[in-house]
Amino acid sequence: MNLMADILLNVIIAFLVGSVLFGLQRKIMARIQMRPGPPIIQHLLHTFKFFIKESAFPKTAAMPFYIAITAMLCAIWVAAVIVGPVTEGSLLLFFAIYALHKIVEHNAGSSSGSPYGKMSCVRAVFSAAAELPLFAVLIIIYLKTGTMNIGNIVTYQGQYGPLIWGIPLAAMMFFVLILSKAPYSPFAITKGKDIISGYETEHFGLLRGYLMISESIAWYMLLWIFLTVFIGGLSPIGYLIGMILISALVALINATTPILNPNHSIMVQVSLAFIGVLGSIILLTVY
Amino acid sequence: MDNQIIYLIYILSFVIGSIIGLVLSYKKYTEPFIKKNMDMVALIMAIIGWVLVLNNPLLMVIPYYITITIGIFLIALVIGMRPGYGRYETVIGFSVAGIIWIIRMGLT
Repeated sequence: MNLMADILLNVIIAFLVGSVLFGLQRKIMARIQMRPGPPIIQHLLHTFKFFIKESAFPKTAAMPFYIAITAMLCAIWVAAVIVGPVTEGSLLLFFAIYALHKIVEHNAGSSSGSPYGKMSCVRAVFSAAAELPLFAVLIIIYLKTGTMNIGNIVTYQGQYGPLIWGIPLAAMMFFVLILSKAPYSPFAITKGKDIISGYETEHFGLLRGYLMISESIAWYMLLWIFLTVFIGGLSPIGYLIGMILISALVALINATTPILNPNHSIMVQVSLAFIGVLGSIILLTVY
Repeated sequence: MDNQIIYLIYILSFVIGSIIGLVLSYKKYTEPFIKKNMDMVALIMAIIGWVLVLNNPLLMVIPYYITITIGIFLIALVIGMRPGYGRYETVIGFSVAGIIWIIRMGLT
């Protein structure tokens, strides 16, 4: 298939599946909390809704950065799709994309001029200090498999079995990272309800639509990377089942835990990263 | 047809089915899910949908992706209904299709 068509196809799939998974997550959370909950496609409908809403720009916004940041967020997650399902490139690039995501999250908050956005921007830097060590899981994968290439990691798992059994603590670390990106997560301090919608507070209309598209693609990509790197190359049905299961587990955790205080959130994540890195290195040395 | 295009069609079928199901059910039911009555039309759609998805090899004359696309559309129509509605119909539809699938596996 033509490369551009392949990219477009994968981006549309990522966006639609990511949106439906977010909707499913909200539905499961609602059912756990004894509420009927919104329809599964609610997140998708919200995204479309923002494209027909009026867009307004606050006087305090840093133009044109305030607008450009939404396109940037979209662009980096489209790049993630290209690195991931389309070309099965290097995990190192994915790490760079995730690091960029943190910077964009930070700048989206600061560019709006809103105190809530600024608070979220500070928290984004704060949480990066905890999330990026969690992403150090990639180094453990490299130490185990000797490669950073996604295609080669899948081949390695074909020979030696899923990595989740070989480096379970690394899988746990990556799961915590996924959890931190989920809405209503105990680690979702950048969008904690005490700061309204965090860095998204002043982005509405078309701009919020772009942010929501990016979030859906990001969710799909994080789950895709987890399943590919720790379980191995799955069939599309396998990916779908895996993504539904992880989303359901995340929904269960989110529905039963409060959003942590930023200090506690960071400490928990750093502690898990410390345990994960040290434990994985010990496991790699022993076995 | 390329596999990815087929999966995209399935996803689109689910999304469009859910939206239509939501719109139609809000027109049909003006109150929240309190009476917990069974909707016969939704039940038939759920059974046909789940049977088409899980037991598509039974219809050998039609390409499998067409059968599954129609099945997913019908399933989504019921799942996508106003919150609460379509819940029992989905469970019954899935159970019936599951029983047929088990019998089919047993026979082959």
